[in-house]
Amino acid sequence: MKDPDNADQVSLPSASKSSIAQVIKLPRPSKKAESKNFLQNKKKRNGLWYALYFPQLEKLSKPRQENLLNELAASIRQVSSEISFHSMALVCEIRSGLKYFGGMEEVHNKLAPLLTALLQQRGLPHYFLYAASPTITGSLLLARSGRNALVYQKNNLRSALGRLPTDVLRLSKEQNYRLHNIGVRCLRDIWRLPADGLRTRFGSDFVNLLDKALGKVPEPIRNYLPPPAFSTSYELPFGLESLDRLLPVVDEMVAQLCEFLRHRDLSISHLLLHLQHEKQDSTEVNMALRQPSRSREHLIMLLDTHFSNLIIPSPVTGIKLRVKKFNTFISHSDPLLPEDKLTSRHGCNLNQFTDQLQARLADNCLKYINSVSEHCPEYANQLINYGEPIRKSHNEDRSRDDKKENTQQVALTPRPLWLLREPKQLALRNGKLYHRKDVTLISGPERIETFWWSGTDVCRDYYVAREANGSRLWVYRERTGDKNWYLHGYFG
Amino acid sequence: MADQGFHGRSTGFPQLDDILPGRGWPQSGLIEVITPSWGIGELQLLIPLMRSVIEQGKWILWITPPHLPYAPALIQLGIDTDQILVVKRDTSCRDALWSMEKALQTSNFGLVLTWQNWLPGKVLRRLQLAAETGNNLGVFFKHHDSKYSLSPIRIKIKDSLVKSNRENSDSFETEITVIKARGNFRSLTTRVNLYKAN
Repeated sequence: MKDPDNADQVSLPSASKSSIAQVIKLPRPSKKAESKNFLQNKKKRNGLWYALYFPQLEKLSKPRQENLLNELAASIRQVSSEISFHSMALVCEIRSGLKYFGGMEEVHNKLAPLLTALLQQRGLPHYFLYAASPTITGSLLLARSGRNALVYQKNNLRSALGRLPTDVLRLSKEQNYRLHNIGVRCLRDIWRLPADGLRTRFGSDFVNLLDKALGKVPEPIRNYLPPPAFSTSYELPFGLESLDRLLPVVDEMVAQLCEFLRHRDLSISHLLLHLQHEKQDSTEVNMALRQPSRSREHLIMLLDTHFSNLIIPSPVTGIKLRVKKFNTFISHSDPLLPEDKLTSRHGCNLNQFTDQLQARLADNCLKYINSVSEHCPEYANQLINYGEPIRKSHNEDRSRDDKKENTQQVALTPRPLWLLREPKQLALRNGKLYHRKDVTLISGPERIETFWWSGTDVCRDYYVAREANGSRLWVYRERTGDKNWYLHGYFG
Repeated sequence: MADQGFHGRSTGFPQLDDILPGRGWPQSGLIEVITPSWGIGELQLLIPLMRSVIEQGKWILWITPPHLPYAPALIQLGIDTDQILVVKRDTSCRDALWSMEKALQTSNFGLVLTWQNWLPGKVLRRLQLAAETGNNLGVFFKHHDSKYSLSPIRIKIKDSLVKSNRENSDSFETEITVIKARGNFRSLTTRVNLYKAN
């Protein structure tokens, strides 16, 4: 194996016909300069950045591009731990692994089949352009030019980049036009121009880009972070029948989980806990949270509530904890004033309560009530499961004034606080209405006629009535058919 | 009378305020409302309280109401239904009381209503403690009065209806008895027009 630092440039094997490897020939530096270089390299050993450019991604939408780059990055992690994201390109550091893999060519040969397979899977043309140099931007520019070059040393970067045409810089149309007019055709021409003038004419971003490519200024790495995954399991030495005694073990696992979440700055909103039994299928505790959390106390409290109404068929021999959904962690800052503290605590507290309630009862145990602008009384009330978005047809989008108006619309005629699920037919005794006691009408009628367009016609006269024991009733008489009297609600 | 060191929240009915210690509902604790049957005015009695709770930005939880709470009526009475949650009716008694305890401990709620007939002393004491920690009011609606109940306030709404003195007017008054209240020496009775206040 050749020492890469001594060999200035080596051609890379080409990946496709369209990009032919090209050796950039440069005069070898003098011995004096070489020893100086060597010292410099010893002092500050720069990375070697391997850029992979995928021009075929241009046709894809932004999110799909990002997805694909993420997948590609996951496979690149086999050769490098530092991967930087760029538009339609990935740049990874390979100097640190060069000796292990046995040289640049080996690294490339390892990567190429992986990447082409991935691209083929997606039905995309399976070629890519690549280059390696000591700077991220430099590698990227070289890769974009399609030269597949390899530059080991920073000193040689300038001459290697100098040959590239200006369009690798991806400038705006106007800037390109201006550069062309100045007489600049390739990067080398730019370096001949004074930096100050360039800065005033093309902006500091432009000059910075070139400086980054040459390694004069530091470059930020847009790091690839593998998607989070957490699962842990624990084998119990003997079967446990009591879930209470299981809790300390679960607590330990949740503590691990919270530690992980703290490191990755995440929170969770969906957790799966498998309780394994000896000869049977495992019992699954499926815990979804209303609000993402990473508080150990909260998670344990919820699991405890889940355990309280869980029946296990046989002793538990093992526990497995897995996170189904991660969320980014959003922290709340504490308010300064004590009275604000009270109000700010509220939101969190209510969510904890509802989480706990739904853990113990069922998901659909808690309801919202909502009024709908609907003429028919039984459809004007809406029960919505807590947590589902409230479909407010009339007063969500509008302003507060409209809401008031709507309230007034509702308030025109009295409505009962309690509505019966099914209207109850009232009997007539001696010509008088009778429910539990005698019923006398107080006010009315209010005529409600609706749904004539559907088969079930609603044609009612509503009255407010008073029962002999004092309760106020909402009764109606059908205007069609048998003209029966019905009780529809209590005023409470 | 009943001039106590603490101030209650006004019930919205001056006659009732007069016979309650602290001139109104307590700030926290349990209230028992005893009615021979559901729907004879017990909700109307609490409407002003509900309104003030909602205005404070707190939530109201209805645990196992016997009928559907009707949102248009609540809006009519000035109660924002966005801050009302309902625990459905077919929840077991144990779970209902459990959720009541949890809700009373939560400071987001200002009022927890529940319809239960079975209330042993132990449960009441636990709930009373929970209400004090969360600074909450819990209201029980029940059919039968028990003499030895531990709740600090017991109120009975009478079945009978008495017509007011003005014969020609259409107003009716309901008899309300404060059977027991911490700070009162004996039970007191008053007549309130429940439907007029709103």
